[in-house]
Amino acid sequence: MSAAGMTCPGCGSTNIVDDDLYSQAQLVCVDCGSVVSEGVLANDPVGDVSFSRTTAVAKKPCANQIKGLQRVKAICRILMVNSEIEALSQTYYKMAYEHKAFLKVSLQKKDILTGCCVLVSCRLLNWPITIGTISCLLDADPMVVGAVYQEMVKNLSIEAPIVNEVLVSASNFKTFDVPEELAENSRDLTKRAVALVELAADSWIVTGRKPIPIMMAATYLAWQSLKPNKHRLKFSLDKFCQIAKVKKLKPAMKRVAEIKEVLCKLGKEIPWVGGAMTPNNVIQQVECILQHRYALLRRAMRTHEDTPVTSVVKQNGSNSQDPSGNWGKRVLFAPPCVIHPKKRRVEQCEHKDVTGDEEISDSEIDSYIRTPREARDFSQTQELKNEADTEVPKTAVTLVAT
Amino acid sequence: MDSSSDEALDIIVTNVVATFRTRCHLNLRTIALEGSNVIYKPEVGKVLMKLRKPMITASIWSSGKIICTGATSEDEAKLGARRLARCLQKLGFKVRFSAFRVVNVLAVCSMPFAIHLIDFTKNNRPIASYEPELHPAATYRIKNLKATIQVFSTGSLTVTGI
Repeated sequence: MSAAGMTCPGCGSTNIVDDDLYSQAQLVCVDCGSVVSEGVLANDPVGDVSFSRTTAVAKKPCANQIKGLQRVKAICRILMVNSEIEALSQTYYKMAYEHKAFLKVSLQKKDILTGCCVLVSCRLLNWPITIGTISCLLDADPMVVGAVYQEMVKNLSIEAPIVNEVLVSASNFKTFDVPEELAENSRDLTKRAVALVELAADSWIVTGRKPIPIMMAATYLAWQSLKPNKHRLKFSLDKFCQIAKVKKLKPAMKRVAEIKEVLCKLGKEIPWVGGAMTPNNVIQQVECILQHRYALLRRAMRTHEDTPVTSVVKQNGSNSQDPSGNWGKRVLFAPPCVIHPKKRRVEQCEHKDVTGDEEISDSEIDSYIRTPREARDFSQTQELKNEADTEVPKTAVTLVAT
Repeated sequence: MDSSSDEALDIIVTNVVATFRTRCHLNLRTIALEGSNVIYKPEVGKVLMKLRKPMITASIWSSGKIICTGATSEDEAKLGARRLARCLQKLGFKVRFSAFRVVNVLAVCSMPFAIHLIDFTKNNRPIASYEPELHPAATYRIKNLKATIQVFSTGSLTVTGI
Protein backbone atom coordinates (compact mmCIF):
# COMPACT_ATOMS: atom_id res chain seq x y z
CA MET A 1 0.00 0.00 0.00
CA SER A 2 1.46 3.40 -0.90
CA ALA A 3 1.37 6.27 1.52
CA ALA A 4 -0.02 8.82 -0.94
CA GLY A 5 -2.39 11.31 0.62
CA MET A 6 -1.96 10.17 4.21
CA THR A 7 -0.92 12.30 7.11
CA CYS A 8 0.57 11.08 10.36
CA PRO A 9 -1.85 11.60 13.23
CA GLY A 10 1.08 12.25 15.60
CA CYS A 11 3.11 14.96 13.84
CA GLY A 12 1.05 15.75 10.76
CA SER A 13 3.82 14.99 8.26
CA THR A 14 3.05 13.42 4.92
CA ASN A 15 6.28 11.43 4.82
CA ILE A 16 4.85 7.95 5.32
CA VAL A 17 6.53 4.80 4.04
CA ASP A 18 5.86 1.09 3.78
CA ASP A 19 7.93 -0.60 6.42
CA ASP A 20 6.99 -4.21 6.98
CA LEU A 21 7.70 -5.68 10.36
CA TYR A 22 8.31 -9.40 9.91
CA SER A 23 5.29 -10.52 7.92
CA GLN A 24 2.97 -7.71 8.92
CA ALA A 25 2.50 -4.83 6.49
CA GLN A 26 2.89 -1.45 8.27
CA LEU A 27 2.75 2.22 7.27
CA VAL A 28 5.21 4.23 9.36
CA CYS A 29 5.80 8.00 9.60
CA VAL A 30 9.47 8.78 8.92
CA ASP A 31 9.59 11.87 11.12
CA CYS A 32 8.08 10.63 14.38
CA GLY A 33 8.11 6.87 13.87
CA SER A 34 4.48 6.22 14.75
CA VAL A 35 2.64 3.46 12.99
CA VAL A 36 -0.17 4.92 10.87
CA SER A 37 -1.80 1.69 9.94
CA GLU A 38 -1.00 -1.95 9.82
CA GLY A 39 -2.21 -5.00 7.89
CA VAL A 40 -3.55 -8.28 9.01
CA LEU A 41 -1.08 -10.54 10.73
CA ALA A 42 -2.50 -13.91 9.81
CA ASN A 43 -4.89 -15.07 7.12
CA ASP A 44 -7.71 -16.40 9.27
CA PRO A 45 -11.03 -17.17 7.61
CA VAL A 46 -13.60 -14.41 7.84
CA GLY A 47 -16.32 -14.94 10.44
CA ASP A 48 -16.31 -17.58 13.14
CA VAL A 49 -15.51 -21.13 12.21
CA SER A 50 -17.87 -23.79 13.58
CA PHE A 51 -16.58 -27.07 14.98
CA SER A 52 -18.47 -29.16 12.39
CA ARG A 53 -16.93 -27.26 9.55
CA THR A 54 -13.45 -27.89 10.76
CA THR A 55 -14.08 -31.55 11.45
CA ALA A 56 -16.57 -32.31 8.70
CA VAL A 57 -15.88 -35.12 6.22
CA ALA A 58 -17.59 -35.95 2.92
CA LYS A 59 -20.91 -37.85 3.41
CA LYS A 60 -20.42 -41.60 3.07
CA PRO A 61 -23.20 -44.10 2.50
CA CYS A 62 -24.30 -45.86 5.67
CA ALA A 63 -23.49 -49.50 6.32
CA ASN A 64 -26.98 -50.71 5.42
CA GLN A 65 -26.87 -48.90 2.13
CA ILE A 66 -23.54 -50.52 1.30
CA LYS A 67 -24.94 -53.93 2.24
CA GLY A 68 -28.00 -53.24 0.11
CA LEU A 69 -25.86 -52.33 -2.89
CA GLN A 70 -23.92 -55.56 -2.46
CA ARG A 71 -27.21 -57.48 -2.31
CA VAL A 72 -28.28 -55.82 -5.55
CA LYS A 73 -25.02 -56.92 -7.12
CA ALA A 74 -25.50 -60.45 -5.79
CA ILE A 75 -29.03 -60.70 -7.21
CA CYS A 76 -27.78 -59.48 -10.58
CA ARG A 77 -25.01 -62.08 -10.59
CA ILE A 78 -27.42 -64.87 -9.67
CA LEU A 79 -29.75 -63.88 -12.50
CA MET A 80 -26.76 -63.51 -14.83
CA VAL A 81 -27.96 -60.20 -16.22
CA ASN A 82 -25.68 -57.94 -18.21
CA SER A 83 -23.54 -55.17 -16.73
CA GLU A 84 -25.86 -52.36 -17.87
CA ILE A 85 -28.70 -53.76 -15.80
CA GLU A 86 -26.40 -54.20 -12.83
CA ALA A 87 -25.23 -50.57 -13.02
CA LEU A 88 -28.76 -49.26 -13.51
CA SER A 89 -30.14 -51.22 -10.57
CA GLN A 90 -27.38 -49.95 -8.32
CA THR A 91 -28.16 -46.36 -9.36
CA TYR A 92 -31.86 -46.89 -8.67
CA TYR A 93 -31.13 -48.45 -5.31
CA LYS A 94 -29.05 -45.47 -4.28
CA MET A 95 -31.78 -43.08 -5.42
CA ALA A 96 -34.51 -45.03 -3.69
CA TYR A 97 -32.58 -45.52 -0.46
CA GLU A 98 -31.94 -41.80 -0.13
CA HIS A 99 -35.51 -40.86 -1.11
CA LYS A 100 -37.50 -39.59 1.85
CA ALA A 101 -40.18 -42.22 1.32
CA PHE A 102 -37.75 -45.06 1.93
CA LEU A 103 -35.26 -43.49 4.29
CA LYS A 104 -37.03 -44.56 7.46
CA VAL A 105 -38.61 -47.86 6.48
CA SER A 106 -37.74 -51.20 8.04
CA LEU A 107 -34.70 -53.19 6.97
CA GLN A 108 -36.98 -55.90 5.62
CA LYS A 109 -38.55 -53.41 3.25
CA LYS A 110 -35.14 -52.12 2.22
CA ASP A 111 -34.18 -55.70 1.43
CA ILE A 112 -37.25 -56.06 -0.79
CA LEU A 113 -36.29 -52.74 -2.36
CA THR A 114 -33.07 -54.34 -3.63
CA GLY A 115 -35.08 -56.89 -5.60
CA CYS A 116 -37.46 -54.24 -6.90
CA CYS A 117 -34.58 -52.16 -8.25
CA VAL A 118 -33.28 -55.17 -10.16
CA LEU A 119 -36.80 -55.86 -11.42
CA VAL A 120 -37.36 -52.34 -12.72
CA SER A 121 -33.94 -52.24 -14.41
CA CYS A 122 -34.61 -55.56 -16.14
CA ARG A 123 -37.97 -54.31 -17.35
CA LEU A 124 -36.52 -51.05 -18.65
CA LEU A 125 -33.79 -52.86 -20.55
CA ASN A 126 -36.12 -55.57 -21.87
CA TRP A 127 -34.69 -58.45 -19.88
CA PRO A 128 -37.36 -61.05 -19.23
CA ILE A 129 -38.09 -61.52 -15.55
CA THR A 130 -41.15 -62.03 -13.39
CA ILE A 131 -42.14 -60.83 -9.94
CA GLY A 132 -42.35 -64.49 -8.96
CA THR A 133 -38.65 -65.00 -9.60
CA ILE A 134 -37.68 -61.94 -7.55
CA SER A 135 -39.89 -62.96 -4.65
CA CYS A 136 -38.31 -66.41 -4.69
CA LEU A 137 -34.85 -64.88 -4.57
CA LEU A 138 -35.82 -62.55 -1.74
CA ASP A 139 -37.91 -65.22 0.02
CA ALA A 140 -40.78 -62.74 0.32
CA ASP A 141 -44.48 -62.70 -0.44
CA PRO A 142 -45.09 -61.65 -4.09
CA MET A 143 -47.85 -59.28 -2.99
CA VAL A 144 -45.50 -57.44 -0.65
CA VAL A 145 -42.83 -57.28 -3.36
CA GLY A 146 -45.45 -55.93 -5.76
CA ALA A 147 -46.56 -53.25 -3.31
CA VAL A 148 -42.98 -52.07 -2.67
CA TYR A 149 -42.31 -52.15 -6.41
CA GLN A 150 -45.32 -49.96 -7.18
CA GLU A 151 -44.42 -47.53 -4.40
CA MET A 152 -40.86 -47.26 -5.69
CA VAL A 153 -41.95 -46.72 -9.28
CA LYS A 154 -44.35 -44.00 -8.16
CA ASN A 155 -41.81 -42.19 -5.94
CA LEU A 156 -38.99 -42.30 -8.45
CA SER A 157 -41.34 -41.55 -11.39
CA ILE A 158 -40.10 -44.44 -13.50
CA GLU A 159 -42.12 -45.53 -16.51
CA ALA A 160 -41.34 -49.19 -16.80
CA PRO A 161 -42.97 -51.36 -19.44
CA ILE A 162 -45.33 -54.04 -18.22
CA VAL A 163 -44.14 -57.61 -18.30
CA ASN A 164 -43.90 -58.80 -21.83
CA GLU A 165 -45.11 -62.38 -22.01
CA VAL A 166 -43.39 -62.97 -25.28
CA LEU A 167 -40.01 -62.13 -23.86
CA VAL A 168 -40.59 -64.05 -20.67
CA SER A 169 -41.63 -67.17 -22.49
CA ALA A 170 -38.60 -66.89 -24.70
CA SER A 171 -36.39 -67.18 -21.69
CA ASN A 172 -38.18 -69.98 -19.95
CA PHE A 173 -36.66 -72.97 -21.60
CA LYS A 174 -34.01 -75.14 -20.13
CA THR A 175 -32.31 -77.87 -22.05
CA PHE A 176 -34.29 -81.03 -21.57
CA ASP A 177 -32.37 -84.18 -20.64
CA VAL A 178 -34.83 -86.43 -22.31
CA PRO A 179 -34.87 -89.33 -24.74
CA GLU A 180 -34.38 -88.54 -28.40
CA GLU A 181 -38.03 -88.71 -29.47
CA LEU A 182 -39.10 -86.20 -26.80
CA ALA A 183 -36.25 -83.75 -27.34
CA GLU A 184 -36.74 -80.55 -29.28
CA ASN A 185 -34.60 -77.75 -30.64
CA SER A 186 -34.94 -74.90 -28.18
CA ARG A 187 -35.00 -72.18 -30.81
CA ASP A 188 -37.86 -73.77 -32.75
CA LEU A 189 -39.73 -74.39 -29.55
CA THR A 190 -39.30 -70.77 -28.49
CA LYS A 191 -40.46 -69.44 -31.82
CA ARG A 192 -43.52 -71.64 -31.89
CA ALA A 193 -44.46 -70.85 -28.29
CA VAL A 194 -44.04 -67.12 -28.83
CA ALA A 195 -46.34 -67.29 -31.87
CA LEU A 196 -48.93 -69.14 -29.79
CA VAL A 197 -48.72 -66.53 -27.04
CA GLU A 198 -49.22 -63.76 -29.61
CA LEU A 199 -52.25 -65.56 -30.96
CA ALA A 200 -53.62 -65.96 -27.46
CA ALA A 201 -53.05 -62.24 -26.85
CA ASP A 202 -55.02 -61.37 -29.99
CA SER A 203 -57.95 -63.51 -28.91
CA TRP A 204 -58.39 -62.20 -25.35
CA ILE A 205 -56.86 -65.13 -23.53
CA VAL A 206 -53.87 -63.23 -22.16
CA THR A 207 -55.35 -59.94 -20.94
CA GLY A 208 -56.06 -59.96 -17.23
CA ARG A 209 -54.51 -63.37 -16.57
CA LYS A 210 -51.31 -64.43 -14.82
CA PRO A 211 -48.59 -64.80 -17.46
CA ILE A 212 -46.86 -67.98 -16.30
CA PRO A 213 -49.67 -70.52 -16.86
CA ILE A 214 -50.18 -69.11 -20.35
CA MET A 215 -46.50 -69.58 -21.15
CA MET A 216 -46.60 -73.10 -19.77
CA ALA A 217 -49.63 -73.92 -21.94
CA ALA A 218 -48.03 -72.33 -25.01
CA THR A 219 -44.79 -74.28 -24.52
CA TYR A 220 -46.68 -77.55 -24.11
CA LEU A 221 -48.76 -77.03 -27.24
CA ALA A 222 -45.72 -75.85 -29.19
CA TRP A 223 -43.81 -78.96 -28.18
CA GLN A 224 -46.70 -81.20 -29.16
CA SER A 225 -47.21 -79.50 -32.49
CA LEU A 226 -43.56 -79.62 -33.57
CA LYS A 227 -43.83 -83.42 -33.91
CA PRO A 228 -47.51 -84.30 -33.64
CA ASN A 229 -47.10 -88.07 -33.45
CA LYS A 230 -49.29 -90.33 -31.33
CA HIS A 231 -46.76 -90.53 -28.53
CA ARG A 232 -46.57 -86.79 -28.05
CA LEU A 233 -50.29 -86.23 -28.42
CA LYS A 234 -50.93 -88.73 -25.64
CA PHE A 235 -48.41 -86.96 -23.38
CA SER A 236 -50.33 -85.10 -20.68
CA LEU A 237 -49.45 -81.66 -19.30
CA ASP A 238 -48.53 -83.27 -15.97
CA LYS A 239 -45.89 -85.50 -17.52
CA PHE A 240 -44.61 -82.64 -19.66
CA CYS A 241 -44.08 -80.52 -16.56
CA GLN A 242 -42.29 -83.44 -14.93
CA ILE A 243 -39.78 -83.87 -17.74
CA ALA A 244 -39.28 -80.10 -17.96
CA LYS A 245 -38.74 -80.11 -14.20
CA VAL A 246 -41.24 -77.32 -13.50
CA LYS A 247 -44.13 -77.28 -11.07
CA LYS A 248 -47.47 -77.73 -12.76
CA LEU A 249 -49.92 -74.86 -12.34
CA LYS A 250 -53.66 -75.52 -12.22
CA PRO A 251 -54.72 -72.72 -14.58
CA ALA A 252 -52.33 -74.01 -17.26
CA MET A 253 -54.76 -76.83 -18.08
CA LYS A 254 -57.57 -74.31 -18.62
CA ARG A 255 -55.32 -72.17 -20.80
CA VAL A 256 -54.48 -75.20 -22.92
CA ALA A 257 -58.19 -75.78 -23.48
CA GLU A 258 -58.81 -72.11 -24.31
CA ILE A 259 -55.93 -71.91 -26.77
CA LYS A 260 -57.10 -75.15 -28.42
CA GLU A 261 -60.59 -73.65 -28.76
CA VAL A 262 -59.17 -70.59 -30.54
CA LEU A 263 -57.05 -72.83 -32.77
CA CYS A 264 -60.18 -74.81 -33.67
CA LYS A 265 -62.04 -71.63 -34.59
CA LEU A 266 -59.20 -70.66 -36.89
CA GLY A 267 -58.60 -74.17 -38.14
CA LYS A 268 -62.18 -74.32 -39.42
CA GLU A 269 -61.32 -71.51 -41.84
CA ILE A 270 -58.46 -73.33 -43.56
CA PRO A 271 -59.81 -73.92 -47.08
CA TRP A 272 -57.88 -77.10 -47.85
CA VAL A 273 -58.71 -78.99 -44.66
CA GLY A 274 -61.97 -80.86 -44.78
CA GLY A 275 -63.75 -82.48 -41.88
CA ALA A 276 -64.57 -81.20 -38.42
CA MET A 277 -61.91 -79.45 -36.39
CA THR A 278 -61.85 -80.81 -32.86
CA PRO A 279 -59.37 -80.10 -30.08
CA ASN A 280 -57.92 -83.56 -30.69
CA ASN A 281 -57.00 -83.17 -34.32
CA VAL A 282 -56.18 -79.46 -34.32
CA ILE A 283 -52.60 -79.99 -33.11
CA GLN A 284 -51.52 -81.30 -36.48
CA GLN A 285 -52.73 -78.09 -38.10
CA VAL A 286 -51.07 -75.74 -35.62
CA GLU A 287 -48.07 -75.05 -37.85
CA CYS A 288 -50.34 -74.07 -40.72
CA ILE A 289 -52.62 -72.01 -38.52
CA LEU A 290 -49.75 -70.05 -37.00
CA GLN A 291 -48.19 -69.39 -40.39
CA HIS A 292 -51.39 -67.89 -41.77
CA ARG A 293 -52.94 -66.71 -38.55
CA TYR A 294 -53.73 -63.15 -39.58
CA ALA A 295 -55.44 -64.22 -42.77
CA LEU A 296 -57.38 -66.89 -40.89
CA LEU A 297 -58.39 -64.37 -38.23
CA ARG A 298 -59.76 -62.06 -40.88
CA ARG A 299 -61.67 -64.90 -42.55
CA ALA A 300 -63.10 -66.05 -39.24
CA MET A 301 -64.32 -62.54 -38.36
CA ARG A 302 -65.88 -62.15 -41.80
CA THR A 303 -67.61 -65.54 -41.57
CA HIS A 304 -68.90 -64.66 -38.13
CA GLU A 305 -70.34 -61.35 -39.34
CA ASP A 306 -72.00 -63.04 -42.31
CA THR A 307 -73.82 -65.66 -40.20
CA PRO A 308 -77.53 -65.61 -41.14
CA VAL A 309 -79.75 -63.17 -39.27
CA THR A 310 -82.11 -65.88 -37.95
CA SER A 311 -79.56 -67.38 -35.65
CA VAL A 312 -78.69 -63.91 -34.30
CA VAL A 313 -82.36 -63.11 -33.74
CA LYS A 314 -82.87 -66.40 -31.90
CA GLN A 315 -79.96 -65.47 -29.69
CA ASN A 316 -81.45 -62.06 -29.04
CA GLY A 317 -84.80 -63.62 -28.15
CA SER A 318 -83.31 -65.85 -25.51
CA ASN A 319 -81.08 -63.05 -24.29
CA SER A 320 -83.89 -60.59 -23.66
CA GLN A 321 -84.35 -61.93 -20.14
CA ASP A 322 -80.65 -61.79 -19.56
CA PRO A 323 -79.53 -58.37 -20.77
CA SER A 324 -76.34 -58.13 -18.80
CA GLY A 325 -73.04 -59.34 -20.11
CA ASN A 326 -73.91 -61.66 -22.94
CA TRP A 327 -72.36 -59.48 -25.58
CA GLY A 328 -69.68 -62.16 -25.33
CA LYS A 329 -71.85 -64.68 -27.10
CA ARG A 330 -72.36 -62.31 -30.01
CA VAL A 331 -68.70 -61.76 -30.91
CA LEU A 332 -66.24 -64.35 -32.10
CA PHE A 333 -63.43 -63.61 -29.65
CA ALA A 334 -64.07 -62.35 -26.17
CA PRO A 335 -62.52 -62.92 -22.77
CA PRO A 336 -63.47 -66.45 -21.73
CA CYS A 337 -65.25 -65.42 -18.52
CA VAL A 338 -67.63 -63.31 -20.60
CA ILE A 339 -68.38 -66.18 -22.98
CA HIS A 340 -69.03 -68.55 -20.07
CA PRO A 341 -70.32 -66.24 -17.37
CA LYS A 342 -70.85 -67.46 -13.82
CA LYS A 343 -74.54 -67.69 -12.95
CA ARG A 344 -75.38 -64.93 -10.54
CA ARG A 345 -78.19 -65.05 -8.02
CA VAL A 346 -80.87 -62.52 -8.88
CA GLU A 347 -80.77 -59.93 -6.15
CA GLN A 348 -83.92 -58.37 -4.78
CA CYS A 349 -83.92 -54.63 -4.81
CA GLU A 350 -85.00 -53.73 -1.28
CA HIS A 351 -85.43 -50.44 0.50
CA LYS A 352 -85.73 -48.16 -2.46
CA ASP A 353 -87.18 -45.37 -0.37
CA VAL A 354 -85.06 -45.63 2.73
CA THR A 355 -84.25 -42.25 4.25
CA GLY A 356 -82.19 -43.26 7.25
CA ASP A 357 -84.34 -41.42 9.75
CA GLU A 358 -87.25 -43.80 10.09
CA GLU A 359 -88.85 -45.11 13.24
CA ILE A 360 -87.35 -48.33 14.53
CA SER A 361 -89.88 -50.42 16.43
CA ASP A 362 -89.07 -52.20 19.66
CA SER A 363 -90.10 -55.59 18.36
CA GLU A 364 -87.61 -55.25 15.58
CA ILE A 365 -84.79 -54.54 17.97
CA ASP A 366 -85.85 -57.40 20.25
CA SER A 367 -85.18 -59.83 17.46
CA TYR A 368 -81.49 -58.99 17.82
CA ILE A 369 -81.31 -59.56 21.54
CA ARG A 370 -81.38 -62.92 23.28
CA THR A 371 -83.93 -63.53 25.99
CA PRO A 372 -82.41 -63.90 29.47
CA ARG A 373 -83.02 -67.64 29.37
CA GLU A 374 -81.24 -67.97 26.02
CA ALA A 375 -78.32 -65.92 27.34
CA ARG A 376 -78.06 -68.17 30.44
CA ASP A 377 -78.12 -71.34 28.32
CA PHE A 378 -75.51 -69.92 26.02
CA SER A 379 -73.11 -68.99 28.81
CA GLN A 380 -73.62 -72.44 30.40
CA THR A 381 -72.77 -74.24 27.19
CA GLN A 382 -69.73 -71.99 26.76
CA GLU A 383 -68.48 -72.96 30.22
CA LEU A 384 -69.07 -76.65 29.55
CA LYS A 385 -67.19 -76.34 26.31
CA ASN A 386 -64.24 -74.61 28.00
CA GLU A 387 -64.11 -77.29 30.69
CA ALA A 388 -64.26 -80.08 28.16
CA ASP A 389 -61.51 -78.42 26.14
CA THR A 390 -59.18 -78.15 29.11
CA GLU A 391 -59.86 -81.75 30.31
CA VAL A 392 -59.72 -83.66 27.07
CA PRO A 393 -58.03 -81.45 24.54
CA LYS A 394 -57.82 -84.10 21.82
CA THR A 395 -61.48 -85.09 21.65
CA ALA A 396 -63.61 -82.88 19.45
CA VAL A 397 -66.60 -81.57 21.36
CA THR A 398 -69.58 -80.40 19.39
CA LEU A 399 -72.10 -78.27 21.16
CA VAL A 400 -75.46 -77.13 20.07
CA ALA A 401 -76.35 -73.74 21.46
CA THR A 402 -80.05 -73.49 22.07
CA MET B 1 -81.44 -52.72 -16.45
CA ASP B 2 -81.77 -51.31 -19.93
CA SER B 3 -80.00 -53.53 -22.44
CA SER B 4 -80.95 -51.85 -25.68
CA SER B 5 -79.74 -48.34 -24.83
CA ASP B 6 -76.24 -47.60 -26.02
CA GLU B 7 -75.50 -44.56 -23.90
CA ALA B 8 -76.88 -45.29 -20.43
CA LEU B 9 -74.73 -47.56 -18.29
CA ASP B 10 -75.96 -48.66 -14.90
CA ILE B 11 -73.68 -47.96 -12.03
CA ILE B 12 -74.74 -50.05 -9.04
CA VAL B 13 -73.63 -49.13 -5.55
CA THR B 14 -72.78 -52.42 -3.88
CA ASN B 15 -71.22 -51.42 -0.57
CA VAL B 16 -71.23 -48.42 1.73
CA VAL B 17 -68.88 -48.27 4.72
CA ALA B 18 -69.80 -45.90 7.54
CA THR B 19 -68.54 -45.28 11.06
CA PHE B 20 -70.11 -43.79 14.14
CA ARG B 21 -69.39 -43.50 17.83
CA THR B 22 -71.49 -44.41 20.85
CA ARG B 23 -69.73 -42.05 23.26
CA CYS B 24 -69.56 -44.73 25.92
CA HIS B 25 -67.51 -47.79 26.72
CA LEU B 26 -69.01 -51.07 25.54
CA ASN B 27 -68.56 -54.40 27.27
CA LEU B 28 -67.91 -56.81 24.42
CA ARG B 29 -68.55 -59.92 26.52
CA THR B 30 -72.04 -58.68 27.41
CA ILE B 31 -72.80 -57.97 23.77
CA ALA B 32 -71.49 -61.39 22.75
CA LEU B 33 -73.58 -63.09 25.41
CA GLU B 34 -76.83 -61.24 25.09
CA GLY B 35 -76.87 -60.33 21.42
CA SER B 36 -77.84 -62.80 18.75
CA ASN B 37 -76.14 -62.91 15.39
CA VAL B 38 -72.84 -61.90 16.95
CA ILE B 39 -69.32 -63.23 16.56
CA TYR B 40 -66.84 -62.39 19.30
CA LYS B 41 -63.20 -62.06 18.27
CA PRO B 42 -61.22 -61.63 21.48
CA GLU B 43 -57.85 -61.89 19.68
CA VAL B 44 -58.62 -58.73 17.70
CA GLY B 45 -60.74 -57.17 20.43
CA LYS B 46 -63.97 -56.67 18.54
CA VAL B 47 -67.46 -58.09 18.10
CA LEU B 48 -69.07 -58.61 14.69
CA MET B 49 -72.79 -58.09 14.73
CA LYS B 50 -74.90 -58.83 11.67
CA LEU B 51 -78.25 -57.23 11.05
CA ARG B 52 -80.79 -58.83 8.74
CA LYS B 53 -82.61 -55.78 7.52
CA PRO B 54 -80.74 -53.89 6.15
CA MET B 55 -78.12 -56.56 5.51
CA ILE B 56 -75.13 -55.06 7.27
CA THR B 57 -72.22 -56.25 9.35
CA ALA B 58 -70.96 -54.06 12.13
CA SER B 59 -67.56 -54.26 13.85
CA ILE B 60 -67.96 -53.07 17.42
CA TRP B 61 -64.97 -52.05 19.52
CA SER B 62 -64.98 -51.59 23.26
CA SER B 63 -64.03 -47.92 22.88
CA GLY B 64 -67.44 -47.31 21.34
CA LYS B 65 -66.31 -46.96 17.75
CA ILE B 66 -68.43 -48.94 15.30
CA ILE B 67 -67.86 -49.59 11.58
CA CYS B 68 -70.84 -50.66 9.46
CA THR B 69 -70.32 -52.38 6.15
CA GLY B 70 -72.57 -54.05 3.61
CA ALA B 71 -75.26 -51.43 3.10
CA THR B 72 -76.33 -50.69 -0.46
CA SER B 73 -76.97 -46.98 -0.04
CA GLU B 74 -75.93 -44.19 2.29
CA ASP B 75 -79.43 -43.88 3.75
CA GLU B 76 -79.53 -47.60 4.37
CA ALA B 77 -76.20 -47.35 6.11
CA LYS B 78 -77.57 -44.65 8.39
CA LEU B 79 -80.67 -46.69 9.14
CA GLY B 80 -78.62 -49.75 9.93
CA ALA B 81 -76.31 -47.75 12.15
CA ARG B 82 -79.21 -46.27 14.08
CA ARG B 83 -80.79 -49.71 14.43
CA LEU B 84 -77.57 -51.01 15.82
CA ALA B 85 -77.30 -48.14 18.28
CA ARG B 86 -80.88 -48.86 19.45
CA CYS B 87 -79.95 -52.49 19.86
CA LEU B 88 -77.01 -51.61 22.04
CA GLN B 89 -79.19 -49.25 24.04
CA LYS B 90 -81.60 -52.08 24.73
CA LEU B 91 -78.73 -54.19 25.95
CA GLY B 92 -78.17 -51.63 28.64
CA PHE B 93 -75.44 -49.33 27.39
CA LYS B 94 -75.83 -45.56 27.53
CA VAL B 95 -75.46 -45.12 23.81
CA ARG B 96 -75.55 -41.73 22.13
CA PHE B 97 -75.52 -41.94 18.33
CA SER B 98 -72.91 -39.47 17.15
CA ALA B 99 -70.27 -38.73 14.51
CA PHE B 100 -71.93 -40.74 11.79
CA ARG B 101 -69.74 -40.55 8.70
CA VAL B 102 -69.75 -42.44 5.42
CA VAL B 103 -66.16 -43.48 4.86
CA ASN B 104 -66.21 -45.40 1.58
CA VAL B 105 -68.61 -46.21 -1.23
CA LEU B 106 -68.04 -49.05 -3.69
CA ALA B 107 -69.83 -49.23 -7.02
CA VAL B 108 -69.64 -51.53 -10.03
CA CYS B 109 -70.35 -50.88 -13.64
CA SER B 110 -70.10 -53.05 -16.72
CA MET B 111 -68.96 -52.03 -20.18
CA PRO B 112 -70.36 -53.98 -23.14
CA PHE B 113 -66.90 -54.51 -24.58
CA ALA B 114 -63.58 -56.03 -23.59
CA ILE B 115 -60.59 -53.88 -22.70
CA HIS B 116 -57.01 -54.57 -23.71
CA LEU B 117 -55.32 -53.79 -20.42
CA ILE B 118 -51.74 -53.51 -21.63
CA ASP B 119 -52.61 -50.92 -24.28
CA PHE B 120 -54.92 -49.15 -21.84
CA THR B 121 -52.13 -48.84 -19.30
CA LYS B 122 -49.58 -47.71 -21.88
CA ASN B 123 -51.90 -44.93 -23.02
CA ASN B 124 -52.74 -43.77 -19.50
CA ARG B 125 -49.42 -43.75 -17.71
CA PRO B 126 -48.79 -42.85 -14.90
CA ILE B 127 -52.43 -42.64 -13.80
CA ALA B 128 -53.01 -46.31 -14.62
CA SER B 129 -50.92 -49.22 -13.44
CA TYR B 130 -51.19 -52.91 -14.24
CA GLU B 131 -49.31 -55.90 -12.85
CA PRO B 132 -50.81 -59.12 -14.24
CA GLU B 133 -48.89 -61.30 -11.80
CA LEU B 134 -50.40 -59.51 -8.81
CA HIS B 135 -53.96 -58.57 -9.76
CA PRO B 136 -55.97 -59.20 -12.94
CA ALA B 137 -57.24 -55.61 -13.15
CA ALA B 138 -55.57 -52.35 -14.05
CA THR B 139 -55.78 -49.68 -11.34
CA TYR B 140 -56.71 -46.17 -12.46
CA ARG B 141 -56.38 -43.54 -9.73
CA ILE B 142 -58.05 -40.15 -10.09
CA LYS B 143 -56.14 -37.94 -7.71
CA ASN B 144 -58.43 -34.94 -7.37
CA LEU B 145 -61.53 -37.07 -6.78
CA LYS B 146 -59.58 -39.45 -4.54
CA ALA B 147 -61.16 -42.35 -6.42
CA THR B 148 -59.69 -45.64 -7.58
CA ILE B 149 -61.14 -47.53 -10.52
CA GLN B 150 -60.23 -51.16 -11.11
CA VAL B 151 -60.58 -51.92 -14.79
CA PHE B 152 -61.00 -55.59 -15.71
CA SER B 153 -60.39 -57.02 -19.15
CA THR B 154 -64.02 -58.20 -19.34
CA GLY B 155 -65.23 -54.61 -19.23
CA SER B 156 -66.27 -54.59 -15.57
CA LEU B 157 -65.28 -51.55 -13.56
CA THR B 158 -65.13 -51.27 -9.79
CA VAL B 159 -65.08 -47.74 -8.38
CA THR B 160 -64.03 -47.12 -4.78
CA GLY B 161 -63.01 -44.20 -2.64
CA ILE B 162 -59.78 -45.81 -1.45
